[in-house]
Amino acid sequence: MPRLRKLLDGLRSLLWGQRVSRELDEELKTFMEMATEEKMRSGMTRPEAVRAVRLEQGSAEVTKENVYASGWESGVERIWRDIRFGVRSLRKSPVFSAVIVLTLTLGIGANTAIFTLMNAVMLESLPVSNPTQLYRLGDNNNCCSMTGTQDGGSFVLYSHPLYEYLRDHTSEFEQLAAFASYLEDLSVRGPHDSASQPYKGEFVSGNYFQMFGIQPSVGRLLTPSDDSATAPRVAVMSYRTWQKFYALDPSVVGSTLDIDGTGYTIAGVTTPQFYGDTLRSDPPDFWLPLAGEPEQWRLQSANVEWLYLLGRLKGGINPDAVQARLTVELQQWLGSHRDVIPQRDWDEIPRQHIRLTRAARGVEQMQTDYSLALRVLATLSTLLLLIACANVANLMLGRGSDHQSQTAVRLALGGTRGRLVSQLLTESLLLAVAGGVAGLYVAYAGTRALLLLAFRGAHFIPISARPSVAVLVFAMLLSLATGIVFGIAPAWMASRSNPADALRGSGRALTGRSSTVQKSLIVVQVSLSIVLLVGAGLLTRSLRNLEGQQFGFVTDGRLIVSLTSLQAAGYTEEKLPALYERLEERLPQIPGVLSASLSTYSPLEGNNWSEYISIQGKPPDFSGTAPSWLRVGPHYFQTIGTRLLQGRLIDERDRPGAPQVAVVNDAFARRFFPKENPIGHYFGMTDIGHSGDYEIVGVVEDAKYQDTRGPAYPTFFLPLLQVHAGEPVRGWVSTIELHVAARPENLEPGIRQAISEIDPNLTVLRVVSFREQVARNFNQERLIARLAEVFGMLALILACVGLYGVTAYVVTRRTNEIGIRMALGADRRKVLGLVLRSALLQVGIGLALGIPVALATGLGLASQLYRVKSYDPAILILAAVTLASCALLAAFVPARRATKIDPLRALRYE
Amino acid sequence: MTDKRSAIVQGTLDMLILKTLALEPMHGYGIAVRLEQKSQGAFRINAGSLFVALQRLQREGLIKDEWKATENGRRAKYYALTHQGRKRLDSETREWGRQVAAITRILEAS
Repeated sequence: MPRLRKLLDGLRSLLWGQRVSRELDEELKTFMEMATEEKMRSGMTRPEAVRAVRLEQGSAEVTKENVYASGWESGVERIWRDIRFGVRSLRKSPVFSAVIVLTLTLGIGANTAIFTLMNAVMLESLPVSNPTQLYRLGDNNNCCSMTGTQDGGSFVLYSHPLYEYLRDHTSEFEQLAAFASYLEDLSVRGPHDSASQPYKGEFVSGNYFQMFGIQPSVGRLLTPSDDSATAPRVAVMSYRTWQKFYALDPSVVGSTLDIDGTGYTIAGVTTPQFYGDTLRSDPPDFWLPLAGEPEQWRLQSANVEWLYLLGRLKGGINPDAVQARLTVELQQWLGSHRDVIPQRDWDEIPRQHIRLTRAARGVEQMQTDYSLALRVLATLSTLLLLIACANVANLMLGRGSDHQSQTAVRLALGGTRGRLVSQLLTESLLLAVAGGVAGLYVAYAGTRALLLLAFRGAHFIPISARPSVAVLVFAMLLSLATGIVFGIAPAWMASRSNPADALRGSGRALTGRSSTVQKSLIVVQVSLSIVLLVGAGLLTRSLRNLEGQQFGFVTDGRLIVSLTSLQAAGYTEEKLPALYERLEERLPQIPGVLSASLSTYSPLEGNNWSEYISIQGKPPDFSGTAPSWLRVGPHYFQTIGTRLLQGRLIDERDRPGAPQVAVVNDAFARRFFPKENPIGHYFGMTDIGHSGDYEIVGVVEDAKYQDTRGPAYPTFFLPLLQVHAGEPVRGWVSTIELHVAARPENLEPGIRQAISEIDPNLTVLRVVSFREQVARNFNQERLIARLAEVFGMLALILACVGLYGVTAYVVTRRTNEIGIRMALGADRRKVLGLVLRSALLQVGIGLALGIPVALATGLGLASQLYRVKSYDPAILILAAVTLASCALLAAFVPARRATKIDPLRALRYE
Repeated sequence: MTDKRSAIVQGTLDMLILKTLALEPMHGYGIAVRLEQKSQGAFRINAGSLFVALQRLQREGLIKDEWKATENGRRAKYYALTHQGRKRLDSETREWGRQVAAITRILEAS
């Protein structure tokens, strides 16, 4: 109650300040009157009495001030007064304020944008209930299918039987769910659709949604009973898909969609925020029960490990104990399933274990992939902000000196230094907050641009650019910190000023000290800028090297068409030859297409198949990485532009029934036939029994299919349909390559039409130019390089603006001196040299300090760089020369003005 | 005339004002005069400390104010104890008594 009263009284005096003050006035006046009358009664004259009372009681103004200052509202009012004063004084110099706010907007905006990303990727939990209870069984993101022991003994991928065993034997989990470690490209057709559309799907265990504890938006989510071979097939739709493709129509629930050739009834829709177990671009549109997996052997086989496991621990359970228990269970299971592990790895079994890791953020795919990029970006943007701060501090200092006499008067009139500093800091904070608010807009736009750059090619990214509470708090704190950082120097300088000096009219009283501080700030700016410029140079060069390297294929005028699985379109092995033949015949007839070919996958699309091989006449060697392989049709190498080194390419001859052949790449030849000509040798996949399967008929140049930085993997290419007698075709076509004459983009409608003419059930997943497909491999590198370039440019501009400002300021201050020098016979060249020398000195010191830091930065970036030395001298020199010449240009403008000074007028100046 | 004025013991001004107002509502000057009289000139309170204390007491809800005419027809703000103020005075008086007794015991201990 008293607290409330205190508050109300304070508010009353804040809001009705004048009336309250009048009341106090009157009360005090009465008090003084009464005291005076008292004195007069004891015999004093009125003037004597008045004087005595004033001596006794002190001035009424001071009393009022005391009473006033004892209430809490005085602090608020003082701040409010400072703010109003600050706004007034900033509005008096709009250009100055605008330049500062703009600078801060860029600095704070850039940092906020990057924080928005970091927050979404690194900090935010999955939008599910109590995410901290979630734990994952495994500590890395190995994908997608594996057999036997796992990397370093840490189990990450699980077979379905192993999942069931762990689920049923670990009672510490409220729910333990499993889901495929990869997403599926689905072709989905509604009852009224004429053609199938591509969607993303994920196979999940029946308790998946119960484990996450999320509720349906409509309908119901999957339950364990849906996940059985005999249950009717149901699927769950994502909210975004429901919204985007079904216009939130509730009748979707209960309707049946054709998904990969199977009828699925839509059971319900997830919550709007839910994007699944992994933060990634293009998250699942549909969740299907594991039992719906078309390759049923995946569910029964204890050999194939393809599931990620994620569970919710019961409350109060110690995860360490669960982790130990899981490892014991794993060992028990492996003990009773020795056949799962190839004999050569048996001694690895005791090392197999399970690491239980926190999964509040789900499977940390993006977190791992982007952590380095985000850290680099955060560093870059912090540098930019520091440069912006130095720049703003400089501008403020310059203005502070102009306001010297005002400051001096205030000090002389009894303003305390504390009040002066708080006034100036308030002004800085005002500017910073204005910059922060504007920065939020920049951050919003910036985040969207960043997302587009970072996830080029994605249709949907479950990261919102809209600032969250965390982002708003961050921007606010950052603005305040910024305001303090750049406000401290000017405030400190002002508080040290000596009123007597300033009032004496000597405008140069402070010049020495404040311009030293200003020059130091320029030095700081220059050194930070060179670091940014060198970093930008290294990253840009590296990106250019990556994109411009010899890939071993030609991207110009090439298109890649991806299809969803042919099984889903209803194909069986017997129907494949006819389909392939029709495609090979029809596709080159599309106007503008020069040649067409088919393959199981294409270079740098993110796919890799590998298999150990046995070479006839050589002992089997299963050490090292298994070579990669794919199936390709006739004209494949010509179409993608990979050159033949010797022998022949795969062509129309290589049909089923013809002698079985293989083409290998140069890396394969070097690894397996280091001293021989591989042509004419035989090899086969897996064990020695197959070593006579394929005859090597040609060697092609190395082409990069998986890794853009390392050398090409040893790879062999097989004809589309040649298989060992009695075995099924492993590897069906999913990619079409086209060599085209016209602009690749314009051909898409013709291609889609040709394919749907061949079979309307074929679903085109995407049509992209080969160049674009390759470019998407460098999204991260491009993101970092582009931002480094932008930040480098901004830093350069800010440094030049800063140097210009300081030089111009110094010239104004030294007008007098320059006039004297000229009067004494200094010519223009000398004056120019005088001014430029000082600017050059600042730039020189800045470079001298910055270059070692830039070199260290280069070393830090070394792991990011491709074929660029971290101390690349050309880049270093280019950056230094660019910076120095821009800076000199900036200093030259005011320096030239100095030479135009008229000595006579200058002497009269001040 | 020897000046026997002393400083008011820290923190007791509030209690003394409350005590003064316990008799009857009074204006600021009246309080100052009463305190001086009752302390036989030992305490003299100036307007600065008095009004700061009055504002504090009022904001704590211990006293309330009212504008009234004085005996000689002047308008003045009269302060009066609230119920809470009375309770606070009681508790502070008791506390003070205990402290004085304790201090005295310490000082007189040989």
